[in-house]
Amino acid sequence: MHDPVDLLTHDALLRTAEPRPDADAKLRGDPGYLTDRLRPGQLHGAILGSPWPHARILAIDTRAAAALPGVAAVVTAADIPGQARYGLRVVDRPVLCHAVVRCVGDPVAAVAAETPELAQRALALIDVRYEALPLVDDAEAALAPGAAPLHPGGNLLHQGHHARGDAAAAAAACVHWVEAEYFSPMQMHAFLETEGGVVEPDGQGGFWIGFGGHNPERDRQVLAAMLALPPERLRVVGTPVGGSFGGKDELTVQPIALLLAWKAGRAVRLHLARPQSVDLGVKRHAMRVRMRSGCDASGRLRCHTVDILADTGAYATHGPEVLDAAIEHAAGPYAWDALAVDGRLAYTNNGIAGAMRGFGAVQVQFALERQIDALARAGGWDPADFRRRNLLPPDAPGPLGQVVAPFDGPRQALAVAAAHPLWRGPRRGVDAAGRWRWGVGLALIHRSDGFGRGGPNASRLVLALAADGRIELRAGFTELGQNLLGTMLCLMQRWLGCAAADARPVLGDSALTPDSGPVAASRATTLVHRALAEHAGPWRDAVLQAAAIQLNVDAATLRLGPGGVCDADGRLRLAYAALAAALGEARPVHTIDLPPEQTPSEVDAAHYVFGACAALARVAVDGWTGALRVEQLLLVPALGPVASPMGLLGQMEGGALIGQGLATTEDLSPRGGRYPARNLDGYLIPTLADAPRCEVVAVQDLPAGDRVGPRGAGEISVNIAVPAIANAVAEAIGLAATRLPIAPDTVLDHLEALERST
Amino acid sequence: MTAAAPAALPATAITAAPTIAPACAPSAPTVAFTLNGRPVALAAPPDRRLLALLREDLGLVGAKPGCGVGRCGACMVWLDDEPVNACLVMAWQLDGRRVTTVEGLADDPRAAPVREALARHGAVQCGYCSAGLVVGLTWLHGQADVPDRDAAAAQLCGHLCRCTGYGGLQRTLDALFAPPAPA
Repeated sequence: MHDPVDLLTHDALLRTAEPRPDADAKLRGDPGYLTDRLRPGQLHGAILGSPWPHARILAIDTRAAAALPGVAAVVTAADIPGQARYGLRVVDRPVLCHAVVRCVGDPVAAVAAETPELAQRALALIDVRYEALPLVDDAEAALAPGAAPLHPGGNLLHQGHHARGDAAAAAAACVHWVEAEYFSPMQMHAFLETEGGVVEPDGQGGFWIGFGGHNPERDRQVLAAMLALPPERLRVVGTPVGGSFGGKDELTVQPIALLLAWKAGRAVRLHLARPQSVDLGVKRHAMRVRMRSGCDASGRLRCHTVDILADTGAYATHGPEVLDAAIEHAAGPYAWDALAVDGRLAYTNNGIAGAMRGFGAVQVQFALERQIDALARAGGWDPADFRRRNLLPPDAPGPLGQVVAPFDGPRQALAVAAAHPLWRGPRRGVDAAGRWRWGVGLALIHRSDGFGRGGPNASRLVLALAADGRIELRAGFTELGQNLLGTMLCLMQRWLGCAAADARPVLGDSALTPDSGPVAASRATTLVHRALAEHAGPWRDAVLQAAAIQLNVDAATLRLGPGGVCDADGRLRLAYAALAAALGEARPVHTIDLPPEQTPSEVDAAHYVFGACAALARVAVDGWTGALRVEQLLLVPALGPVASPMGLLGQMEGGALIGQGLATTEDLSPRGGRYPARNLDGYLIPTLADAPRCEVVAVQDLPAGDRVGPRGAGEISVNIAVPAIANAVAEAIGLAATRLPIAPDTVLDHLEALERST
Repeated sequence: MTAAAPAALPATAITAAPTIAPACAPSAPTVAFTLNGRPVALAAPPDRRLLALLREDLGLVGAKPGCGVGRCGACMVWLDDEPVNACLVMAWQLDGRRVTTVEGLADDPRAAPVREALARHGAVQCGYCSAGLVVGLTWLHGQADVPDRDAAAAQLCGHLCRCTGYGGLQRTLDALFAPPAPA
């Protein structure tokens, strides 16, 4: 056992005061959002969505709409010349529905008109005849015999199973059992910029397509297939993005806007209003998770049985991968003698669920960390000690038995949290008036980085000296707010010896950037690090060789520096701009192909890399209203060397508040296939008044010989905040929460029951 | 399973872009106001929203349409010298008034320290809320009777941010406003 040696404290993170390259433009209101690309002559697109959660389309009559003066195009599925459906693993989502609508808002037709008012009037003139189909609004009911199938293959979209160990022997050893059924509802991404952008004909039969996204190259392939055009005819720009959190990963309205522009032969702008964004956009999967977990008399975890039922809504999008992630994270970083995890994923008419930050793991980690806390309580053990004694060793196989990159992060993060004054002081109390009762909760998780085995884990980046002398790192990723631009600048300076002013990250434009795969799964920072770590040497050699020829000196006397190539004393000898000018078309361009970093084990969807995080939450419970007030959060990410200190801090603070929202107020559970709220006045995300004081302490250690480098920080704070808050509530008032959010009614019922029993 | 919907359902249009009001009809009345210190006059239906006037008609995109119902604060501007959500102001309310947008604060010395603090303390991520926040915070910070930190915080709950968790905004307030006097 050794203690973590390399910590970045909260103050140390802040001291960097690292500038963010896009901050000033954003604070002045115009960093170039694609929804701000307003130009004269653009047509205005509008989409007709289904008012019904499940219905057959009998007829669509668009004649009156098309005849309205000022309407340039009306499209239905019949207009699509190529692929009329899209999807990631499962191609099941129609660009426009022609036979059946499967959720409220499912697009049926669209128009492009000279003004938004005309577009709305035209939508009202489209006559769609529907015939009702049975509503499937519950995942269990969707899988019951006789349920109306949403798709030809039935309602079971995906299932998975993992078991190991001798369950009977492990169960026989158990003295303490905890069994519960947990529920986590649909959660809205609530990015502030709703889906939108512009499609512009390029005058040569192709199109420029600008919509915030995660993977412009993948979008280009799908959009080209829809129009049966070669992908080269399309240029797709996906950056910058006004927030996504996974909600703009899959295509949203791009295919419809492109179809309109293609039919009209003119530029079309399409920007959803919030209610339609809520209807059309994906959400976090609702999950019902049953867990039965046991430990022996000494407090050793023995037996863990998990059953997951997830609701993917009308279409697959990322659903199968979400369920796979739930299954993989259901055991946590703990050693179990026997484990059995089953998962099923059902189609329903409850909107559409897809990728959301925290991805598949949030729901099961809430359940698991409640179980672990309850077992510690049952046996009278300290929750930190109980976890520490049950951790897997750093070189243990992964949760599915797969080979993983060795990692000691869970133990290190837990040690830092357990040593914190918040944990070492009193863990529960009540205010003087007796109204607020507070408690301190602990949680510990690990979570995967990158995609599972078989996913699009490879990546390509390009490092090049541009004509103006800037060193460009080009990637198809997009800037979603996560500070990828700043992280790239930090890492370029660190690895390439240049100054920030010499470096230029180029992102998210299919004409300028290579196919890097999606910016998702907390992977971009790790890939940028790998690209630079592996290719800084060849880059340096190429640049120094070229400079040596220009300067007529031995390359060994030169090195890379701020501003250009320097001599051994650090004096600038040749500016990058001068080198670029001298080299002309012979400027160095390095294509960096990163092979997938994935487990060699033949376990489908299993991950190779994990990060870890521990957290403490101090939560006060209002005995009058049942509301929760998160007062203090300590987050201890163990993700290896910090690439961008302010970037890490922002990811930790921001993700934690999304987790807090799920734990305290956010609930988008559909009723009758309809969301209960369609705007931010009815769906309550945390405000400044709800934000706790957050302290972040980063563990930077990695095991000797680690080849992966920094783990991604994009998601893990969402995952950790939920169970930390739930465990704090348990400490404060003894409520073993099983349902998210932990609603005032639940709290008050519990407090009243407590009063009755005393 | 719940009961099936009735057969032969009528068509229903789902409203798109309510923040983007109808473009001006030729017969629309003229509205005249001062925008960032310059007089403007344009024809606009009386119920056309200020947010649409700014973005669609006047080409100023700094105010963002986040919700269209006055909840998120991304479209905040000053009307005369008070902060308002531009999605909740209509053309008929504008005659003779002064409108200041984030673009109008570009060279305003009162906005510079606010922008600098927000950037330095990590209050900017995706940035879609940032311009509205600059408008709201510059107003608060510029009050003759400057609020203390907690009073300022209480007035900023009309600005939603989904990215930062408000940690950067907390630090910005710590830097710009005095701590509350002890009770």
